[in-house]
Amino acid sequence: MYPLSFSIAHALPETILAVGALLLILVGAIRGEKSAPLVAELAIGLLTLALVVIFIGAKTTATVFDGAFIDDQFARYMKALVLIGSIVTLILSRDFLRRENIDQFEFPVLVMLSTLGMLMLTSANSLISLYLGLELMSLALYVVASFHRDNLKASEAGLKYFVLGALSSGMLLYGASLIYGYAGSVSFPGIAAALKSGPAIGVVFGLVFLLAGLAFKMSTVPFHMWTPDVYEGAPTPVTAFFASAPKMAAVAITLRTVMVAFPNITHEWRQIVMFISVASMALGSFAAIGQTNIKRLMAYSSIGHMGFALVGLAAANAAGVEGVAIYLAIYLVTTLGVFAAIVAMRVQGRSVENISDLAGLSRTDGWMAFFMAMLMFSLAGIPPMAGFFAKYYAFLAAVQAGLTPLAVIGVLLSTVAAFYYLRIVKVMYFDEAAPAFDRAPFAVRAVCAVATALVFCFWVYPAPIVEAATNAARAFF
Amino acid sequence: MPGFLEQYLALVIFAALSAVIAIALLVAPFLLAYKSPDTEKLSAYECGFEAFDDARMKFDIRFYLVSLLFIIFDLEVAFLFPWAVAFHDVGWLGFWSMMVFLGVLTIGFVYEWKKGALEWD
Amino acid sequence: MAVSLTHYLVVAAILFTIGVAGIILNRKSIIVILMSVELILLSVNINLVAFSGSRADLTGQVFALFILTVAAAEAAIGLAILVTYYRNRGSIAVEDINAMKG
Repeated sequence: MYPLSFSIAHALPETILAVGALLLILVGAIRGEKSAPLVAELAIGLLTLALVVIFIGAKTTATVFDGAFIDDQFARYMKALVLIGSIVTLILSRDFLRRENIDQFEFPVLVMLSTLGMLMLTSANSLISLYLGLELMSLALYVVASFHRDNLKASEAGLKYFVLGALSSGMLLYGASLIYGYAGSVSFPGIAAALKSGPAIGVVFGLVFLLAGLAFKMSTVPFHMWTPDVYEGAPTPVTAFFASAPKMAAVAITLRTVMVAFPNITHEWRQIVMFISVASMALGSFAAIGQTNIKRLMAYSSIGHMGFALVGLAAANAAGVEGVAIYLAIYLVTTLGVFAAIVAMRVQGRSVENISDLAGLSRTDGWMAFFMAMLMFSLAGIPPMAGFFAKYYAFLAAVQAGLTPLAVIGVLLSTVAAFYYLRIVKVMYFDEAAPAFDRAPFAVRAVCAVATALVFCFWVYPAPIVEAATNAARAFF
Repeated sequence: MPGFLEQYLALVIFAALSAVIAIALLVAPFLLAYKSPDTEKLSAYECGFEAFDDARMKFDIRFYLVSLLFIIFDLEVAFLFPWAVAFHDVGWLGFWSMMVFLGVLTIGFVYEWKKGALEWD
Repeated sequence: MAVSLTHYLVVAAILFTIGVAGIILNRKSIIVILMSVELILLSVNINLVAFSGSRADLTGQVFALFILTVAAAEAAIGLAILVTYYRNRGSIAVEDINAMKG
C-alpha cells in the first residue's frame, strides 16, 4: 500500500482537472453568465498545466489506488494526445460559440470534465475504473453534443448519441459482468492470470460484449451509426472535439484492455478486431463518397481512420502498438487542422458546411485552401504527408504479424478513400468560386497553419513522435 | 424471564416516548391552532393536480426538472450507507474521502441554486 | 429447488434481452427507451451481485453500487436532453427523430 501522496503524484493531471473543474463551476455559478470568457481561459490554462505536468512529471511506471489506476509511458503518451485535442477544441470554440450565442461558462467546464474522464479511461487498470472513466467522458459528451439547445439538429444529435451511447455502455457492462464472473477478477492483470490455462467460454462471451461497447466509443463499424448524425448536428467545435480527444481515449483503453487483460486469448479477440477494422475501412471509404455536407464526410472519414488504426492493433505486437500510437498522433493533428478550417467556414456571419461552399477557395483565400489541401493529402495518405507514414507504420506491423491480407485490403481501401479527399481539393482549386468566407479569427487560422506545418514536416524530423510511440509500446512488452 | 424483558426495556421506553410525542403533536393543534378553513386548504393535496382527474393529462415540464435534481442527490445515499456501516473500519482516509465526495455534491448544489433551478417560477 | 447461480444469470440474460429489444423494436416513445436502458443496467447488477455471492467476493457488489449511481446520473442527463429535444421538436415519438439522414 502506497501513501496517498504517492498515488496523487501519479494522478496529478487528473487531480488538477478535477479540482480545477469544480472551482470553475463555482466561479461560473457565482459570477454568472459574464464569466464565460474568464472560465474558458482558465480551463485552457488548466488543461495546459496538466499537459505540462505529463511532460515534466515522473517517467516511472506505477499502479496506484489499489490497482485501479496505472501510470505508465503508454498512458502518458495517450493523455498528452487527449489533452492536445481538448485544448485545441477550446481554442476553436471560443469565437464560434460567441457568434452562435451559446457562449456559456458550462461549455469549458464540461469539456474539462469529459477530458478528466478520458484521462481516467486511459489509465484504467480494472473494469470498474474503465466503466467510471468511460461514463464520466460520455455523460459530459452527451451534454456538449446538445449544447446548442435551441437548435433542433443539435438536440437531436444529443438525443441520438445518448440513446445509442447508453445502449453501448449497457453492453459493455454486461460484458464486464460476465468477465468478472468467469475470470473472478475485475483488475486487468487478474483477468490475464485467470486466463492462463486458456479461454473460458463465459469470458470470451463477455469479451465480445466489452469490445462491442468499446467499438461504439471508437465509432467503428458495426457500431458507427450515430457518428454522421452527431457530427452533423453538433456545433462544429464540438464535432472537432468528438473527432479528436474521445477517439484517442477509446482506442487507448481498447488497446490496454486487450493487451493487458487478454494477452492469452489473442486469437479470439484478433478476429473481432480484424473484422471491425476491415468493415470500418470499407464503410469509411465508400459511404463518404456521396456526402455533400463536410461534417458528415469527416464523420465517415473518422470511421475509416479508426479502421486503419485498428490494423495496428490486430497485429498485437510491439510494432503494432507503436503503429497505433503514431497513427493516432498524426490523425489527431490532421483532424484538428481540418476542423479548424471547417470552423472558419462562415459566409456573412452564418456558418456553412457544404462541400460546395468550399468551391474556388483558392482564389478567395489562398492560404486557407492550401492548408486544407495539404491536410486532405495527409488524410488520403499521400507521401510525403504525415498521413502516409501513419498508414505505413500500421500496415508494416500487420505484415510483420503475418496479416498481409489485412494490410493489402487496407492499402486498397485507402486508395478508394483518397478519391473523396482529392475531390475536395479539386472543388477548392478548379470549381467556380462560391461566396468568399469571412476572415476567420487569428486563433483558428493559427491552428490550421500549425497543423499543416506539422503534417508537412513530419518526414523531415519524425524522431520525437516515433521515439515516444516506441516507448509507449514498451509499456506492454 | 425477567432478564429477557429487561433487554427490551430501552425499546419500551422509546416506544412510549414516541407515542406520547406523536399524540401530543396531533392533539396540540386542536387546542391551540387558529382555524380558518377555505376550499384550497381543505382539498386533497395531490402535487399540484386535481385529486380526481384524468391520469393521462399533460403535466408541467418543471416536474421533470425537480425529479432530475432529485434523482442525483437521492442516489448518492447509496454511497453513504456502506460508508456509515463501515465507519469504524474505513479510518481517516475513508472519512475524508466521503467529505470530499460531499464537498463535490455541495458544489453541484451551489451551482443549481445559483442557476435558479430550484425556483419554481 | 434451490436458486442457483444459473437461475440468476438466466433472469439477467432475459432482462438484458428485453432491454435491448425494447430499444430496437420500440417505435413509440423515447421514454420507453430510457426505461429499457435502466432495465439493461439492472440486469447487469443482478449478474454482478449473483457472481459476487457465488464467488464470495465483494468486488461485484461494489461494482453494482457504482453502476447504480452512474445509472441515476445517466437517466438524469437523458431526461434533460429529452426535455430540450421536446422543446425544439414538440414530440418525443421515435419516428419523429428524422432531422438528419444519410
